[in-house]
Amino acid sequence: MSKLRETLAAGGFPVVVELKPPKGTGVEDMLAPVTALAGRVTAFSVPDNEHAKMRLAAIAAARLVQEAGGEALVHLTCRDRNRLALESDLLGAAALGLENILLVSGDYVTLGDHPQAKPVYDADSVQLLQIARGLADGHDSAGLPLKGSPAFFLGAVVIPEADPLGPQLLKFEKKLAAGAQFFVTPAVFDLDKLRRFREQLPENPGKLLVSVKVLGADEIANASAGQWRKVYSLPPDLVSELAGKEPEAIMARGVETAARLVKQIKQENLADGVYLKAKGRPDLFTQILEAAGL
Amino acid sequence: MIIAERKPFAEIKAMVAPYKKILIVGCGTCVAVCLAGGEKEVGLLASQLKLALGLEDKRLEIGEITVERQCDMEFLRPLCDFTADYEAIVSMACGAGVQFLKQLCSLQPIFPGVNTTFIGVNNEAGYYTERCRACHNCYLGITGGICPVTMCPKGLLNGPCGGTLNGHCEVDPAKECAWSQIYHRLELEGRLDNMKEILPLHPHDRCTTPGTVIHPAYKRRYGINE
Repeated sequence: MSKLRETLAAGGFPVVVELKPPKGTGVEDMLAPVTALAGRVTAFSVPDNEHAKMRLAAIAAARLVQEAGGEALVHLTCRDRNRLALESDLLGAAALGLENILLVSGDYVTLGDHPQAKPVYDADSVQLLQIARGLADGHDSAGLPLKGSPAFFLGAVVIPEADPLGPQLLKFEKKLAAGAQFFVTPAVFDLDKLRRFREQLPENPGKLLVSVKVLGADEIANASAGQWRKVYSLPPDLVSELAGKEPEAIMARGVETAARLVKQIKQENLADGVYLKAKGRPDLFTQILEAAGL
Repeated sequence: MIIAERKPFAEIKAMVAPYKKILIVGCGTCVAVCLAGGEKEVGLLASQLKLALGLEDKRLEIGEITVERQCDMEFLRPLCDFTADYEAIVSMACGAGVQFLKQLCSLQPIFPGVNTTFIGVNNEAGYYTERCRACHNCYLGITGGICPVTMCPKGLLNGPCGGTLNGHCEVDPAKECAWSQIYHRLELEGRLDNMKEILPLHPHDRCTTPGTVIHPAYKRRYGINE
Protein backbone atom coordinates (compact mmCIF):
# COMPACT_ATOMS: atom_id res chain seq x y z
CA MET A 1 0.00 0.00 0.00
CA SER A 2 1.27 3.48 -0.83
CA LYS A 3 2.53 5.69 1.98
CA LEU A 4 0.17 8.43 0.83
CA ARG A 5 -2.86 6.16 1.10
CA GLU A 6 -1.68 4.76 4.46
CA THR A 7 -1.02 8.19 5.94
CA LEU A 8 -4.38 9.53 4.84
CA ALA A 9 -6.19 6.42 6.06
CA ALA A 10 -4.48 6.71 9.45
CA GLY A 11 -5.54 10.33 9.78
CA GLY A 12 -1.99 11.59 9.40
CA PHE A 13 -1.22 14.84 7.64
CA PRO A 14 0.68 13.93 4.46
CA VAL A 15 2.85 16.46 2.70
CA VAL A 16 3.15 16.12 -1.07
CA VAL A 17 5.81 18.10 -2.88
CA GLU A 18 5.48 18.94 -6.56
CA LEU A 19 8.47 18.30 -8.82
CA LYS A 20 9.23 19.85 -12.20
CA PRO A 21 10.06 17.28 -14.90
CA PRO A 22 12.67 18.82 -17.20
CA LYS A 23 12.28 19.89 -20.79
CA GLY A 24 15.07 17.53 -21.80
CA THR A 25 16.77 14.57 -20.23
CA GLY A 26 18.68 16.26 -17.42
CA VAL A 27 16.81 14.96 -14.38
CA GLU A 28 19.18 16.06 -11.59
CA ASP A 29 17.34 19.26 -10.67
CA MET A 30 13.98 17.50 -10.80
CA LEU A 31 15.22 14.86 -8.38
CA ALA A 32 16.99 17.27 -6.00
CA PRO A 33 13.96 17.58 -3.68
CA VAL A 34 13.73 13.77 -3.50
CA THR A 35 17.33 13.48 -2.37
CA ALA A 36 16.87 16.29 0.14
CA LEU A 37 13.45 15.42 1.54
CA ALA A 38 12.68 11.72 0.97
CA GLY A 39 12.44 10.96 4.68
CA ARG A 40 10.47 14.09 5.40
CA VAL A 41 7.60 14.26 2.91
CA THR A 42 5.03 11.62 2.05
CA ALA A 43 5.10 11.77 -1.75
CA PHE A 44 6.58 13.63 -4.70
CA SER A 45 4.10 14.72 -7.32
CA VAL A 46 5.00 14.55 -10.99
CA PRO A 47 2.85 16.64 -13.38
CA ASP A 48 2.15 15.37 -16.88
CA ASN A 49 3.10 17.99 -19.49
CA GLU A 50 1.87 20.64 -17.04
CA HIS A 51 0.16 23.69 -18.61
CA ALA A 52 0.29 21.82 -21.95
CA LYS A 53 4.06 22.38 -22.10
CA MET A 54 6.03 19.39 -23.33
CA ARG A 55 8.34 17.88 -20.73
CA LEU A 56 9.91 14.53 -19.86
CA ALA A 57 7.29 11.78 -19.53
CA ALA A 58 5.62 11.86 -16.13
CA ILE A 59 5.56 8.08 -15.72
CA ALA A 60 9.30 7.84 -16.45
CA ALA A 61 9.96 10.73 -14.07
CA ALA A 62 7.83 9.10 -11.38
CA ARG A 63 9.77 5.86 -11.71
CA LEU A 64 13.01 7.84 -11.30
CA VAL A 65 11.55 9.35 -8.13
CA GLN A 66 10.89 5.87 -6.73
CA GLU A 67 14.41 4.76 -7.67
CA ALA A 68 15.80 7.81 -5.87
CA GLY A 69 14.03 6.70 -2.70
CA GLY A 70 10.82 8.73 -2.81
CA GLU A 71 7.20 7.79 -3.33
CA ALA A 72 5.60 9.26 -6.44
CA LEU A 73 2.19 10.70 -7.19
CA VAL A 74 2.01 10.67 -10.97
CA HIS A 75 -0.45 12.73 -13.01
CA LEU A 76 -2.12 11.44 -16.15
CA THR A 77 -3.85 13.85 -18.52
CA CYS A 78 -6.69 13.12 -20.94
CA ARG A 79 -5.40 15.82 -23.28
CA ASP A 80 -2.60 13.79 -24.86
CA ARG A 81 -3.92 10.23 -25.10
CA ASN A 82 -6.85 8.26 -26.39
CA ARG A 83 -8.38 5.50 -24.27
CA LEU A 84 -5.91 2.86 -25.50
CA ALA A 85 -2.94 4.99 -24.49
CA LEU A 86 -4.53 6.01 -21.18
CA GLU A 87 -5.17 2.41 -20.26
CA SER A 88 -1.81 1.06 -21.35
CA ASP A 89 -0.04 3.91 -19.53
CA LEU A 90 -2.04 3.14 -16.39
CA LEU A 91 -1.00 -0.51 -16.62
CA GLY A 92 2.57 0.57 -17.35
CA ALA A 93 2.56 2.85 -14.32
CA ALA A 94 1.32 0.01 -12.13
CA ALA A 95 3.97 -2.34 -13.50
CA LEU A 96 6.61 0.24 -12.55
CA GLY A 97 5.33 0.30 -8.99
CA LEU A 98 3.35 3.55 -9.22
CA GLU A 99 0.18 3.44 -7.17
CA ASN A 100 -0.77 7.08 -6.56
CA ILE A 101 -2.31 8.52 -9.72
CA LEU A 102 -3.85 11.95 -10.21
CA LEU A 103 -6.23 11.89 -13.18
CA VAL A 104 -6.80 15.23 -14.91
CA SER A 105 -8.44 16.60 -18.04
CA GLY A 106 -5.38 18.74 -18.78
CA ASP A 107 -4.95 22.37 -19.80
CA TYR A 108 -5.88 22.97 -23.40
CA VAL A 109 -3.13 22.67 -26.01
CA THR A 110 -3.38 26.24 -27.29
CA LEU A 111 -2.35 27.47 -23.81
CA GLY A 112 0.92 25.55 -23.97
CA ASP A 113 4.04 25.41 -26.10
CA HIS A 114 2.69 23.14 -28.85
CA PRO A 115 -0.45 25.12 -29.73
CA GLN A 116 -0.93 23.40 -33.09
CA ALA A 117 -1.02 19.90 -31.58
CA LYS A 118 -4.20 17.85 -31.82
CA PRO A 119 -6.06 17.80 -28.48
CA VAL A 120 -7.35 14.30 -27.70
CA TYR A 121 -9.79 14.22 -24.75
CA ASP A 122 -11.12 10.83 -25.84
CA ALA A 123 -12.06 10.41 -22.17
CA ASP A 124 -12.75 13.16 -19.66
CA SER A 125 -11.46 13.02 -16.09
CA VAL A 126 -14.64 11.34 -14.79
CA GLN A 127 -14.49 8.67 -17.47
CA LEU A 128 -10.77 8.23 -16.87
CA LEU A 129 -11.47 7.55 -13.19
CA GLN A 130 -13.98 4.91 -14.27
CA ILE A 131 -11.41 3.42 -16.63
CA ALA A 132 -8.76 3.26 -13.88
CA ARG A 133 -11.20 1.70 -11.45
CA GLY A 134 -12.20 -0.79 -14.12
CA LEU A 135 -8.55 -1.78 -14.59
CA ALA A 136 -8.23 -2.24 -10.83
CA ASP A 137 -11.31 -4.45 -11.00
CA GLY A 138 -9.64 -6.56 -13.68
CA HIS A 139 -11.05 -5.33 -16.98
CA ASP A 140 -10.32 -2.67 -19.58
CA SER A 141 -12.79 -0.10 -20.90
CA ALA A 142 -13.86 -2.51 -23.65
CA GLY A 143 -14.80 -5.01 -20.93
CA LEU A 144 -11.94 -7.37 -21.73
CA PRO A 145 -10.28 -9.21 -18.83
CA LEU A 146 -6.77 -8.36 -17.66
CA LYS A 147 -4.01 -10.75 -16.71
CA GLY A 148 -3.01 -9.18 -13.42
CA SER A 149 -4.76 -6.02 -12.35
CA PRO A 150 -3.28 -2.87 -10.83
CA ALA A 151 -3.79 -1.45 -7.35
CA PHE A 152 -4.29 2.28 -7.60
CA PHE A 153 -4.85 5.11 -5.18
CA LEU A 154 -6.84 7.42 -7.41
CA GLY A 155 -6.92 11.17 -7.16
CA ALA A 156 -8.73 13.94 -8.98
CA VAL A 157 -8.77 17.72 -9.00
CA VAL A 158 -11.40 19.94 -7.43
CA ILE A 159 -11.61 23.74 -7.64
CA PRO A 160 -12.77 25.32 -4.34
CA GLU A 161 -13.01 28.82 -5.84
CA ALA A 162 -14.83 27.73 -9.01
CA ASP A 163 -17.33 30.30 -10.20
CA PRO A 164 -20.04 29.16 -10.64
CA LEU A 165 -19.54 26.51 -7.96
CA GLY A 166 -22.67 24.46 -8.78
CA PRO A 167 -21.31 22.66 -11.87
CA GLN A 168 -17.99 22.06 -10.08
CA LEU A 169 -19.77 20.41 -7.14
CA LEU A 170 -21.77 18.18 -9.47
CA LYS A 171 -18.54 17.15 -11.17
CA PHE A 172 -16.95 16.54 -7.77
CA GLU A 173 -19.75 14.10 -6.94
CA LYS A 174 -19.35 12.38 -10.28
CA LYS A 175 -15.62 11.99 -9.65
CA LEU A 176 -16.36 10.48 -6.25
CA ALA A 177 -18.86 8.08 -7.79
CA ALA A 178 -16.38 7.22 -10.53
CA GLY A 179 -13.74 6.17 -8.04
CA ALA A 180 -11.78 9.20 -6.82
CA GLN A 181 -10.29 8.45 -3.40
CA PHE A 182 -8.60 11.78 -2.83
CA PHE A 183 -8.74 15.29 -4.27
CA VAL A 184 -6.13 17.93 -4.90
CA THR A 185 -7.04 21.62 -5.10
CA PRO A 186 -5.26 24.39 -6.97
CA ALA A 187 -3.35 26.85 -4.78
CA VAL A 188 -5.37 28.32 -1.93
CA PHE A 189 -4.50 31.66 -0.33
CA ASP A 190 -7.88 32.57 1.12
CA LEU A 191 -8.75 30.08 3.85
CA ASP A 192 -12.24 31.55 4.33
CA LYS A 193 -13.05 30.52 0.78
CA LEU A 194 -11.70 27.05 1.54
CA ARG A 195 -13.90 26.84 4.66
CA ARG A 196 -16.98 27.88 2.70
CA PHE A 197 -16.17 25.33 0.00
CA ARG A 198 -15.80 22.51 2.52
CA GLU A 199 -19.24 23.31 3.89
CA GLN A 200 -20.70 22.59 0.44
CA LEU A 201 -19.17 19.12 0.11
CA PRO A 202 -21.31 16.00 0.43
CA GLU A 203 -20.82 13.52 3.26
CA ASN A 204 -17.76 11.30 2.92
CA PRO A 205 -16.11 13.49 0.31
CA GLY A 206 -12.85 11.51 0.10
CA LYS A 207 -9.56 12.95 1.27
CA LEU A 208 -8.58 16.52 0.45
CA LEU A 209 -5.05 17.73 -0.24
CA VAL A 210 -4.95 21.51 -0.41
CA SER A 211 -2.27 23.15 -2.54
CA VAL A 212 -0.06 25.78 -1.00
CA LYS A 213 2.08 27.67 -3.47
CA VAL A 214 5.07 29.97 -3.43
CA LEU A 215 4.42 32.68 -5.98
CA GLY A 216 7.10 33.78 -8.41
CA ALA A 217 8.00 37.31 -9.53
CA ASP A 218 6.26 36.72 -12.88
CA GLU A 219 3.02 35.85 -11.14
CA ILE A 220 3.19 38.91 -8.89
CA ALA A 221 3.89 41.12 -11.94
CA ASN A 222 0.96 39.54 -13.72
CA ALA A 223 -1.41 40.04 -10.81
CA SER A 224 -0.33 43.62 -10.13
CA ALA A 225 -0.91 44.42 -13.82
CA GLY A 226 -4.50 43.19 -13.42
CA GLN A 227 -3.82 40.21 -15.71
CA TRP A 228 -4.46 37.47 -13.15
CA ARG A 229 -6.45 34.70 -14.82
CA LYS A 230 -6.24 31.67 -12.55
CA VAL A 231 -8.87 29.63 -10.80
CA TYR A 232 -7.57 30.79 -7.41
CA SER A 233 -7.46 34.33 -6.09
CA LEU A 234 -4.50 36.16 -4.59
CA PRO A 235 -4.72 38.38 -1.54
CA PRO A 236 -4.56 41.98 -2.89
CA ASP A 237 -2.43 43.08 0.08
CA LEU A 238 0.21 40.48 -0.70
CA VAL A 239 0.28 41.43 -4.38
CA SER A 240 0.66 45.17 -3.71
CA GLU A 241 3.32 44.50 -1.04
CA LEU A 242 5.43 42.40 -3.41
CA ALA A 243 4.90 44.28 -6.68
CA GLY A 244 8.24 45.38 -8.09
CA LYS A 245 10.30 43.56 -5.42
CA GLU A 246 13.34 41.43 -6.30
CA PRO A 247 12.54 37.79 -7.20
CA GLU A 248 14.33 36.35 -4.17
CA ALA A 249 12.53 38.78 -1.84
CA ILE A 250 9.23 37.64 -3.39
CA MET A 251 10.23 34.01 -2.86
CA ALA A 252 11.20 34.64 0.76
CA ARG A 253 7.85 36.26 1.49
CA GLY A 254 6.17 33.43 -0.44
CA VAL A 255 7.84 30.85 1.77
CA GLU A 256 6.69 32.71 4.87
CA THR A 257 3.11 32.87 3.58
CA ALA A 258 3.16 29.21 2.55
CA ALA A 259 4.41 28.09 5.95
CA ARG A 260 1.71 30.13 7.70
CA LEU A 261 -0.99 28.62 5.46
CA VAL A 262 0.28 25.05 5.98
CA LYS A 263 0.32 25.55 9.74
CA GLN A 264 -3.16 27.01 9.78
CA ILE A 265 -4.61 24.34 7.48
CA LYS A 266 -3.19 21.65 9.75
CA GLN A 267 -4.16 23.31 13.03
CA GLU A 268 -7.70 24.09 11.96
CA ASN A 269 -8.12 20.74 10.20
CA LEU A 270 -9.08 22.42 6.93
CA ALA A 271 -7.64 19.59 4.84
CA ASP A 272 -6.33 16.06 5.21
CA GLY A 273 -2.91 17.04 3.90
CA VAL A 274 -1.06 19.62 1.82
CA TYR A 275 0.38 19.73 -1.67
CA LEU A 276 3.32 22.12 -1.91
CA LYS A 277 4.29 24.01 -5.04
CA ALA A 278 7.56 25.92 -4.86
CA LYS A 279 9.16 25.85 -8.32
CA GLY A 280 10.53 22.37 -7.58
CA ARG A 281 13.23 23.96 -5.39
CA PRO A 282 14.44 21.84 -2.44
CA ASP A 283 15.65 24.89 -0.49
CA LEU A 284 12.19 26.48 -0.59
CA PHE A 285 10.42 23.23 0.36
CA THR A 286 12.81 22.76 3.27
CA GLN A 287 12.24 26.30 4.54
CA ILE A 288 8.44 25.90 4.33
CA LEU A 289 8.52 22.60 6.22
CA GLU A 290 10.79 24.00 8.90
CA ALA A 291 8.79 27.17 9.36
CA ALA A 292 5.56 25.13 9.48
CA GLY A 293 7.06 22.79 12.05
CA LEU A 294 6.72 19.70 9.85
CA MET B 1 -25.08 25.14 -42.50
CA ILE B 2 -21.49 24.69 -43.66
CA ILE B 3 -19.34 27.75 -43.01
CA ALA B 4 -16.30 28.47 -45.17
CA GLU B 5 -13.81 31.27 -45.71
CA ARG B 6 -12.37 32.37 -49.04
CA LYS B 7 -8.78 31.23 -49.41
CA PRO B 8 -6.15 33.98 -49.50
CA PHE B 9 -5.91 35.45 -52.99
CA ALA B 10 -2.18 34.72 -53.32
CA GLU B 11 -2.83 31.02 -52.69
CA ILE B 12 -5.54 30.81 -55.35
CA LYS B 13 -3.44 32.81 -57.82
CA ALA B 14 -0.50 30.43 -57.32
CA MET B 15 -2.75 27.38 -57.82
CA VAL B 16 -4.09 28.56 -61.18
CA ALA B 17 -0.77 30.02 -62.40
CA PRO B 18 0.01 27.17 -64.84
CA TYR B 19 -3.30 27.54 -66.74
CA LYS B 20 -4.64 29.79 -69.49
CA LYS B 21 -8.33 28.96 -69.22
CA ILE B 22 -10.09 28.20 -65.95
CA LEU B 23 -13.66 27.83 -64.73
CA ILE B 24 -14.69 29.17 -61.35
CA VAL B 25 -17.70 27.29 -60.00
CA GLY B 26 -19.70 28.87 -57.21
CA CYS B 27 -22.13 27.14 -54.88
CA GLY B 28 -25.44 28.82 -54.20
CA THR B 29 -26.28 27.41 -50.78
CA CYS B 30 -24.19 27.46 -47.56
CA VAL B 31 -21.07 29.18 -48.88
CA ALA B 32 -23.23 31.81 -50.60
CA VAL B 33 -24.96 32.64 -47.30
CA CYS B 34 -21.62 32.98 -45.50
CA LEU B 35 -20.29 35.21 -48.29
CA ALA B 36 -17.42 32.90 -49.24
CA GLY B 37 -18.31 31.06 -52.44
CA GLY B 38 -21.58 32.18 -54.00
CA GLU B 39 -22.22 33.91 -57.31
CA LYS B 40 -20.95 37.28 -56.05
CA GLU B 41 -17.76 35.81 -54.69
CA VAL B 42 -17.16 33.97 -57.98
CA GLY B 43 -17.39 37.30 -59.81
CA LEU B 44 -15.13 38.97 -57.30
CA LEU B 45 -12.46 36.29 -57.55
CA ALA B 46 -12.59 36.35 -61.37
CA SER B 47 -12.11 40.13 -61.37
CA GLN B 48 -9.27 39.93 -58.87
CA LEU B 49 -7.47 37.31 -60.94
CA LYS B 50 -7.93 39.24 -64.20
CA LEU B 51 -6.68 42.47 -62.65
CA ALA B 52 -3.70 40.91 -60.92
CA LEU B 53 -2.60 38.94 -63.96
CA GLY B 54 -3.27 41.93 -66.24
CA LEU B 55 -0.78 43.94 -64.20
CA GLU B 56 1.77 41.22 -64.95
CA ASP B 57 0.90 41.23 -68.71
CA LYS B 58 -0.50 37.71 -68.43
CA ARG B 59 -3.76 36.49 -69.92
CA LEU B 60 -6.16 34.19 -68.19
CA GLU B 61 -9.52 33.29 -69.66
CA ILE B 62 -12.04 32.77 -66.88
CA GLY B 63 -15.48 31.19 -67.06
CA GLU B 64 -17.92 31.75 -64.21
CA ILE B 65 -20.87 29.67 -63.17
CA THR B 66 -22.75 29.03 -59.96
CA VAL B 67 -24.94 26.04 -59.25
CA GLU B 68 -27.50 25.65 -56.51
CA ARG B 69 -25.54 22.98 -54.62
CA GLN B 70 -22.29 21.31 -55.60
CA CYS B 71 -22.91 18.55 -53.06
CA ASP B 72 -25.96 17.37 -54.98
CA MET B 73 -25.91 15.10 -58.01
CA GLU B 74 -29.11 16.69 -59.32
CA PHE B 75 -27.46 20.11 -59.67
CA LEU B 76 -24.03 18.88 -60.76
CA ARG B 77 -25.01 16.67 -63.70
CA PRO B 78 -25.97 19.56 -66.01
CA LEU B 79 -22.63 21.22 -65.23
CA CYS B 80 -20.50 18.39 -66.57
CA ASP B 81 -20.72 19.33 -70.27
CA PHE B 82 -19.82 22.89 -69.42
CA THR B 83 -16.59 22.07 -67.55
CA ALA B 84 -14.98 20.16 -70.43
CA ASP B 85 -13.73 23.30 -72.18
CA TYR B 86 -11.47 24.41 -69.35
CA GLU B 87 -7.92 23.48 -68.33
CA ALA B 88 -8.61 23.72 -64.60
CA ILE B 89 -11.52 24.26 -62.23
CA VAL B 90 -11.68 26.39 -59.09
CA SER B 91 -14.58 25.25 -56.93
CA MET B 92 -15.87 27.72 -54.38
CA ALA B 93 -17.93 25.04 -52.61
CA CYS B 94 -17.15 23.38 -49.30
CA GLY B 95 -14.84 20.37 -49.35
CA ALA B 96 -17.76 18.06 -50.09
CA GLY B 97 -18.75 20.06 -53.15
CA VAL B 98 -15.19 20.24 -54.49
CA GLN B 99 -14.82 16.46 -54.28
CA PHE B 100 -18.23 15.70 -55.75
CA LEU B 101 -17.69 18.07 -58.66
CA LYS B 102 -14.34 16.44 -59.43
CA GLN B 103 -15.80 12.95 -59.09
CA LEU B 104 -18.75 13.61 -61.38
CA CYS B 105 -17.64 16.17 -63.94
CA SER B 106 -14.06 17.12 -64.06
CA LEU B 107 -11.19 15.31 -65.76
CA GLN B 108 -8.92 18.31 -65.36
CA PRO B 109 -7.26 19.48 -62.11
CA ILE B 110 -9.59 21.00 -59.52
CA PHE B 111 -8.65 23.53 -56.83
CA PRO B 112 -10.57 24.68 -53.75
CA GLY B 113 -11.34 28.38 -53.55
CA VAL B 114 -12.39 28.29 -49.91
CA ASN B 115 -11.31 26.70 -46.65
CA THR B 116 -14.23 24.81 -45.12
CA THR B 117 -14.37 25.67 -41.44
CA PHE B 118 -17.37 24.28 -39.56
CA ILE B 119 -21.08 23.54 -39.22
CA GLY B 120 -22.52 26.69 -37.75
CA VAL B 121 -25.14 29.37 -37.66
CA ASN B 122 -25.63 32.74 -39.32
CA ASN B 123 -25.86 35.24 -36.45
CA GLU B 124 -26.01 38.10 -38.93
CA ALA B 125 -24.41 38.84 -42.27
CA GLY B 126 -20.68 38.26 -41.81
CA TYR B 127 -20.85 36.71 -38.33
CA TYR B 128 -20.95 32.94 -38.10
CA THR B 129 -20.33 30.64 -35.15
CA GLU B 130 -19.86 26.91 -34.81
CA ARG B 131 -22.56 24.75 -33.23
CA CYS B 132 -22.11 21.13 -34.33
CA ARG B 133 -19.25 18.71 -34.91
CA ALA B 134 -21.42 16.05 -36.52
CA CYS B 135 -20.36 13.56 -33.81
CA HIS B 136 -22.95 10.89 -34.73
CA ASN B 137 -24.34 10.74 -31.18
CA CYS B 138 -26.34 13.87 -30.33
CA TYR B 139 -26.34 14.81 -26.63
CA LEU B 140 -28.47 17.96 -26.98
CA GLY B 141 -31.53 16.33 -25.40
CA ILE B 142 -29.73 15.85 -22.09
CA THR B 143 -27.55 18.97 -22.12
CA GLY B 144 -30.25 21.60 -22.41
CA GLY B 145 -29.76 22.21 -26.11
CA ILE B 146 -26.10 23.21 -25.78
CA CYS B 147 -23.58 20.87 -27.36
CA PRO B 148 -20.69 19.92 -25.04
CA VAL B 149 -18.83 18.23 -27.89
CA THR B 150 -18.69 21.48 -29.86
CA MET B 151 -19.12 24.32 -27.41
CA CYS B 152 -16.57 22.96 -24.90
CA PRO B 153 -13.16 23.07 -26.65
CA LYS B 154 -12.21 19.87 -24.83
CA GLY B 155 -15.50 18.20 -25.74
CA LEU B 156 -15.93 17.10 -22.12
CA LEU B 157 -19.09 15.09 -21.48
CA ASN B 158 -19.28 15.20 -17.70
CA GLY B 159 -19.08 18.78 -16.58
CA PRO B 160 -16.65 21.69 -16.67
CA CYS B 161 -12.89 21.38 -16.55
CA GLY B 162 -10.91 23.12 -13.83
CA GLY B 163 -10.15 26.10 -16.00
CA THR B 164 -13.57 27.76 -15.92
CA LEU B 165 -13.15 31.29 -14.63
CA ASN B 166 -16.12 33.47 -13.71
CA GLY B 167 -18.25 31.32 -15.97
CA HIS B 168 -15.90 31.81 -18.90
CA CYS B 169 -13.76 29.37 -20.86
CA GLU B 170 -10.05 28.85 -20.11
CA VAL B 171 -9.33 28.53 -23.81
CA ASP B 172 -11.05 31.74 -24.91
CA PRO B 173 -12.01 34.00 -22.00
CA ALA B 174 -14.32 35.95 -24.32
CA LYS B 175 -16.56 32.89 -24.51
CA GLU B 176 -18.84 31.54 -21.83
CA CYS B 177 -18.02 28.10 -20.44
CA ALA B 178 -20.32 25.64 -22.20
CA TRP B 179 -20.79 23.63 -19.01
CA SER B 180 -21.70 26.73 -16.99
CA GLN B 181 -24.32 27.47 -19.64
CA ILE B 182 -25.56 23.88 -19.63
CA TYR B 183 -25.81 23.98 -15.83
CA HIS B 184 -27.84 27.21 -15.83
CA ARG B 185 -30.07 26.02 -18.67
CA LEU B 186 -30.83 22.70 -16.94
CA GLU B 187 -31.39 24.49 -13.63
CA LEU B 188 -33.96 26.75 -15.29
CA GLU B 189 -35.64 23.75 -16.86
CA GLY B 190 -35.66 21.86 -13.55
CA ARG B 191 -33.55 19.11 -15.12
CA LEU B 192 -30.25 19.37 -13.21
CA ASP B 193 -30.41 15.65 -12.52
CA ASN B 194 -29.31 15.21 -16.14
CA MET B 195 -25.89 16.49 -15.13
CA LYS B 196 -25.55 14.00 -12.29
CA GLU B 197 -25.56 11.03 -14.61
CA ILE B 198 -22.10 9.98 -15.80
CA LEU B 199 -22.06 9.93 -19.58
CA PRO B 200 -20.02 7.03 -20.96
CA LEU B 201 -17.10 7.28 -23.38
CA HIS B 202 -18.14 8.62 -26.77
CA PRO B 203 -18.63 5.92 -29.45
CA HIS B 204 -15.93 7.14 -31.83
CA ASP B 205 -16.30 4.06 -34.01
CA ARG B 206 -19.43 5.70 -35.41
CA CYS B 207 -17.29 8.67 -36.44
CA THR B 208 -14.89 6.63 -38.56
CA THR B 209 -14.53 8.52 -41.82
CA PRO B 210 -15.79 8.62 -44.49
CA GLY B 211 -19.28 8.38 -43.04
CA THR B 212 -22.24 6.96 -44.91
CA VAL B 213 -25.94 7.31 -44.12
CA ILE B 214 -28.46 5.24 -46.02
CA HIS B 215 -32.10 6.08 -45.44
CA PRO B 216 -34.25 3.05 -44.55
CA ALA B 217 -36.49 3.70 -47.55
CA TYR B 218 -33.46 3.68 -49.86
CA LYS B 219 -32.32 0.43 -48.31
CA ARG B 220 -35.72 -1.15 -48.86
CA ARG B 221 -35.77 -0.12 -52.50
CA TYR B 222 -32.17 -0.63 -53.58
CA GLY B 223 -30.47 -2.78 -50.95
CA ILE B 224 -27.51 -1.29 -49.11
CA ASN B 225 -25.39 -0.15 -52.05
CA GLU B 226 -25.08 3.55 -52.85
